Order: sequence, then structure tokens, then C-alpha cells
Amino acid sequence: STRWSLLRRRPLSSSPNAAPTVGPGPLEPPDLPRLANSARISLSPQEAEEFAPKIQQVVDWFGQLQAVDLESIEPSLRADTAAGSSLREDKAEPFANRDAIIEALPSYDDPYIKVPNALTKE
Amino acid sequence: MALTLLRGIRTPTLLRANFSLLCTTQRHPLAHFTTRAESVQTTEPKAVPKSIQQATKEAAEQKIQGFESVIGIETHVQLSTITKAFCSCPNNYGSQPNSTVCPTCMGHPGTLPVLNAKVVECAVKMSLALNCKISMTSKFDRKQYFYPDLPKGYQISQFDIPIAEKGYLDVDIPVEFGGGHRRFGVTRVHMEEDAGKLLHSESGSYSQVDLNRAGVPLLEIVSEPDMRSGIEAAEYGAEIQRLVRYLGVGNGNMDEGSLRCDVNVSVRPIGQSEFGTKVEIKNMNSFSAISRAIDYEISRQILLYKESQADQIVQETRLWDESSQKTFTMRKKEGLADYRYFPEPDLPEVVLTGEYIDEIRNLMPELPEAKRRRYENIGLSMQDVIFLANDDKVAHFFDSTLEHGTDAKLAANWIMGDITAYLKDEKLSIDESKLTPLELSEMIAYIKNGTISGKIAKEIVVDLIAKGGTVKSVIEEKDLVQIADPAAIEAMVDQVLTDNPKQLEQYRAGKTKLQGYFAGQVMKASKGKASPVLLNKILGEKLKGSC
Repeated sequence: STRWSLLRRRPLSSSPNAAPTVGPGPLEPPDLPRLANSARISLSPQEAEEFAPKIQQVVDWFGQLQAVDLESIEPSLRADTAAGSSLREDKAEPFANRDAIIEALPSYDDPYIKVPNALTKE
Repeated sequence: MALTLLRGIRTPTLLRANFSLLCTTQRHPLAHFTTRAESVQTTEPKAVPKSIQQATKEAAEQKIQGFESVIGIETHVQLSTITKAFCSCPNNYGSQPNSTVCPTCMGHPGTLPVLNAKVVECAVKMSLALNCKISMTSKFDRKQYFYPDLPKGYQISQFDIPIAEKGYLDVDIPVEFGGGHRRFGVTRVHMEEDAGKLLHSESGSYSQVDLNRAGVPLLEIVSEPDMRSGIEAAEYGAEIQRLVRYLGVGNGNMDEGSLRCDVNVSVRPIGQSEFGTKVEIKNMNSFSAISRAIDYEISRQILLYKESQADQIVQETRLWDESSQKTFTMRKKEGLADYRYFPEPDLPEVVLTGEYIDEIRNLMPELPEAKRRRYENIGLSMQDVIFLANDDKVAHFFDSTLEHGTDAKLAANWIMGDITAYLKDEKLSIDESKLTPLELSEMIAYIKNGTISGKIAKEIVVDLIAKGGTVKSVIEEKDLVQIADPAAIEAMVDQVLTDNPKQLEQYRAGKTKLQGYFAGQVMKASKGKASPVLLNKILGEKLKGSC
């Protein structure tokens, strides 16, 4: 079966153990049902049909990006590091506007956030 | 397009936390492994759960019958930091639900995580204690899965470059389980964040989420598959708990979920080089439950092998059920979970310096294994050694007592005997006792030089634990100095013999056991202060003479 694993193909990991596929290569077409399942999105067959070419466009766009020559560019994967300076002191600062974030919850059952029954499995 | 958030639960690492919560009703106030040694030392050796010994024995017997089990453990240690891992929210257990939250730990867009320096410090401490190789540069990754207790839709964790790897842990198997020293490999230690807590409404129509725990720092410690029995696994877990407490990086309380162990168990015929199918077990709330769950699982798998149904052993997650003492299928695994890990772009790499690590290394306390070897070298029995090193507070009290020149065996006996028994009854810990190590050493000295009897000391020690003060003042106040004057004791003996003519007659008629009765009467008359040695000597002579 076709597997669309964009992230796995890209040399994003700085692990010395990982051997990512470097350089541009043909990207496989997206497996839309699997993609939707990974994102917990339900798609009707009609919607899937509608979305497939759109997703394909995004993939093609990444294909274009992958064609860019990065030989001389330092990878920039994350925020910069200066030893020790990026850490935070272990000092509590309670968030002052808690009411606003509680207000923004779609469903709240004081004092809990209410969500659909999580025990129901697929 | 409808969002069906809860479909297709993968195998989130954090789910175990939720499960211990789901099953609160199954929780038993079981004797924890850490308190087991205490019960051995007091008068109730029977407090050791018999089923464990039985199960171990059975597992051992089954091993002889041609099978070997392979056990690995994943431990999650919650760190007792003041704030969460990536935001400044307080990290408090038991706060009002959803009170210690902010946009960062609630996964709001546009927020940035900033790593708590204390988390790195705790990770380095623990890694050193586990004899690991520390990565001078490590990084964070996003582990994606959907579950309502994970607001961001991913957990910040460490994937391919953990902060430490390739360590080991030395343990002593308790004497009552056969004893022996074992070394278990530690594959890796990494830093990550905890998820929130999920509760289920009684009607089951919806669930409730408390995000106070979301973002609380965790260390995940993965062992090599080096354990071979439930006892070995439980002892490994207990040693991790000791390290956590000795180092002060966490409270290690299993009942609060601050220390969580998931075990992987497989069985193979002896001689087979490849491992059997691995089964994961969760939902164990004590070390004794870990031991029993593993031994049950080993027996279950061996039985399937013997019935030529080894194909029924499948890769799955099973839950330990305390009431039936069995494991049950929770979910079968359909292939490997796809967490779609990728590097966390919002956090810089964690870069350590040699000086930083040395600084932490220099401040490390003496660890349980080093303590046990030291206690062993001063001549204590293995049972004493394991008991004293089990709790760092007890070990510290013991060490302080020795600093006053007290004999190690005598100090150990008092601490493990009367002091522990009293503290246990009063539900106090040794640092809540008002007895100081200095006064314990003084008291032992007073017994040694004959000022007080051991019997009186038993009363004094209780007094000191409850009220404090000095041994000297208690002795003076209560007039407890031992009566060591032979004439005074003789007078009391004479009086008792005169007062009990009937018993004396029986004694003369051959019922010599009654000497104990007379001794008791004299001791009572002296209010416990008569020197037992002198009393028995004088009483013996009198009785012999009277025949």
C-alpha cells in the first residue's frame, strides 16, 4: 500500500543514527484515508475525493521545495542554543488570566473540562 | 467534515497514568515493597505477602521445567519541581482541578515552551545515580497522538538523543526471597512532560479532564530486559524509588502516580536465543503488585507454551486486576504505533558542560547501593543492611547515631526494633520523631554501663520519641536508675517469696518453671528497675537454698 510519510522522508532529525533520505526524490501520492485517520478527521468518500487533489497540490509544493539546492546552507531546525542561557529558573508565576482561558473552553463542567467519553474505542 | 477526536486510540505512553486513575476502585492499600523490610524486622514476619513467595517459588519451579522469562521495565518518575517543565505554572499535586494552568500547558497556539533548569538538574542527578553515559547535547522531539488529556496533540519528549543512556542499577534481593546481588542494565533516561488526568463520569456519557498535571516534568527510565522474575522486577522498581527519594528529585509515591512502572514480559524455552512475544502489563500500584502481576503473566504464558498454544501469546497490553489477581487484555496492538516523531522546533538543544555535571556529581549524596556495601562491611546482617538503607531518613538517623561512637549492631537493633515499631503505630516517620541520634547513643551507653536496664530503656525511648528531651533528664525525673544494690534486691526477693507461699510450695514440689513468675513479681515490685542479672542470680540462689 502507498504510504505518505512526508516527515519521515525529510532529513529533519539530527540523530547520528538516523539515515534520512537526502535530496529530492519523487513523492508518493497521499493515502488520504490514512492521513485523515492520523489527524482524527472523518471524511466521507465524497470529501476524500474532493480533498485528494488539494493535498496532492501541497505535496507537489513540498516537492518543489525539496528541489532547492541546500548544499551550502546550515540546517535550521530549532531555536538557537547558547549553553545554559535558554533555561528558565524554577520559580512559579501563576498565570494571571485563568478566567479567560477557562472562558474559552468549548465545554466546561466546573471544575473539569468536559470532553466526549474517552473510553469508547474504535 | 466532523472532528472525531476520540477515535482510534493509539498507544500513548501516557495512557498508563490515566488507567491508574480509571481504576481507583480497584486500588488496595497493599503493603508496599518498601515497607516489607520493616515487617520482617518487627515481630511479624508473616506480614510478607505469602503469595509473593509462593508465586516466586512457582516461577522458579517452572523455570526448571525448561522455560525462561525475560522482563523489561519502563518507569516514569514525576519530578518534584516547583514549576512545570515548560511553563511557570506551579507543579502541585492535589490542587483544585484546572487551577494550575496557562496557555502554554493548555496548548494554545502561539505559546512557546521554555525548559525549566531544575528538570535538567534532576535528569543529570538521576542519570549519574543510574551510572549512565550523559549526552552533552540532547534534544526534544514531538510525539504525536490524540487523547483528550494531551491538549497540544503531541507530547514533548526525547526520541533519538535522550539525555542519558547505557547505565546500570545494582540491587540486593531481600533475604526472604533468596537473597543475592543483581545488576540490571538501564537502556536510557529521557526528559518529557506528563499529560493531564482523565476522569470518567458515572453515567459514562462523557469524560472530565484536569490539566493541572499537563506539562509536569517526568523522567522516563527504560531498563534492559535483564529481569527474570517478579521479585527481581519489583526490587528494580524499589531501587529506582530509593534513588528518587535519596536524590530528592521526586516523592516516588506510587499511589499518587508519581512513580509508575510498566513491565514487558516474555517467555521462551531455555536454549532459544530469540525472545518470545512480548506482553505489556500496566496498572500496578505497588511493588508487590508488580511482582505478582509478572509471576502471574509468566505462568500464563508458560501454560500456553505447554499446551502448544504459544501462538495465543500476542503482542498486547494487559491490565493487572488486583481483585482477581490476574491480567486481562486491554488492547491488542495492530502493528507499531506511529507517533510521527520530529524535532521540537520551539526548544533549543540541551547543551551541558563538564563543569555543570561535575558540580552535580560533587553534591550527590551517598546512594543506597554504596550505603548497603558500607553497612555490610561494618558487619551488619544482610537483613539489617537492606532495612537501614531502604529509607534515606532512617539511614541518616543510623549514620548520625554511629557518629557518636555507638556500636552499629546495638544502634541497628534499637532503630529496627522499638523505634520502628513505635513510629509505625503512631504513623510517624523517623524525622518526625523527637528522639535525636545523640540521645539514642546516650541511652545505649547508659544500658551498657548498667545505669538503666534494657527494659527501662524501652520505656525511655518511647518517651523520647514522643516528647524529646534528654535520656538523663528522663531517668532523673522518673527515678529510673537501675537498682544494682544486691541487698535491696535481696530484700525484694525475700518479700515476694514471703508473699507467695503457695507458689513457693509448688516450686518446691518440682514446678521450677515458677522461677519466672517470681522474677516477674520482683521486677514488678521494683517498678522494673531491678537489674535483671542480679535479680536472677539472687532469686536463683534463694530458691535453690530453700529447697
